[in-house]
Amino acid sequence: MNDTECGTVRELIPDFVGSRLAAEEVERVEGHVQACAECLAELELAQVLLASRASVPEELLERIMRNSVTERSAPARTWWGVSAAAIAALALGIGITSDPAQELPVEVPGFAYEAEEGEIWSSEDGLLAGAPALDELSDEALLQLLDELTVGSAGGSA
Amino acid sequence: MKDEERQGPDPSDLELVQRGRSGDDAALGALAKRHHAAAYRVALSFVREDDLAQDVVQDAFLKAFRALGEFRADASFRTWLLTITANEAKGALRRKGRRRETALEDASEVRSEGGGPAHDAMMRDEASRARRMLEQLPEKQRLSVTLRIEEGLSFKEIGEVIGSSEGAARANYFHGIRRLRELME
Repeated sequence: MNDTECGTVRELIPDFVGSRLAAEEVERVEGHVQACAECLAELELAQVLLASRASVPEELLERIMRNSVTERSAPARTWWGVSAAAIAALALGIGITSDPAQELPVEVPGFAYEAEEGEIWSSEDGLLAGAPALDELSDEALLQLLDELTVGSAGGSA
Repeated sequence: MKDEERQGPDPSDLELVQRGRSGDDAALGALAKRHHAAAYRVALSFVREDDLAQDVVQDAFLKAFRALGEFRADASFRTWLLTITANEAKGALRRKGRRRETALEDASEVRSEGGGPAHDAMMRDEASRARRMLEQLPEKQRLSVTLRIEEGLSFKEIGEVIGSSEGAARANYFHGIRRLRELME
């Protein structure tokens, strides 16, 4: 069998099994594999692989719609941003207590979001509340946290 | 008036991106509907765990939608999204501190198309076996085969997603196919 033709057909096989080829390319592949056992075996493998692909969980699209699409419209509210708010608030003497009567949002200079109920740790220990799992943060996230703390402190002391 | 006349052709990804930038959540929803399956399978190829793959995809969409302003009109939204998904998946694996060797059977459901019950059963057996063999390939070979056959990406697009050249993506694909044929024999 012509190696050049085998090479061309093997390039086309994934699009053949995915029904993405034009009619003349389909005929070319079909004609070739009738006479080439090697390329036929590769085509059959591609068909089996395509048939074995994982199904997508039904709830995934709903999750994306609920969280990614809706949340995208809101300002970025990363959890370390909330942690920074808690630390900055403590430093400013505002304090975050577990008193349910205390009004949210907590306004902290330098943070352009409003905290929502449940987003702030209900603890009198602001340092504890603001320092969970820092070792899990990437360098980039740590730098962002440092920047936010610096901005928050600078804004608070002005 | 017929529905298709009223609705017109499906908008392109670029049109949806432009509408999404203007705050049109329905356009973002259409992008999610169009590409979430490919993103899920890319994530699953990396993390090999259904729950984690779903988390990765959700984070990837959120990151992509928030960064729509950075998307270049001359690029493919799908490739861009899948690249973000791959990076999110790598980050998730890094955070876990290990690469899971979890079997994929629980997350995978073998599909079969036509041919009657006997043919379906044979295809399911073959498909399950092929999936197990695929899991044995090195990561870049596995991803190149997955992205080329399951998602129809070009080698250039695959290179962008897995962080290699077009030529390396092609080599990984054909090495992977050759290895799979050996394993399946």
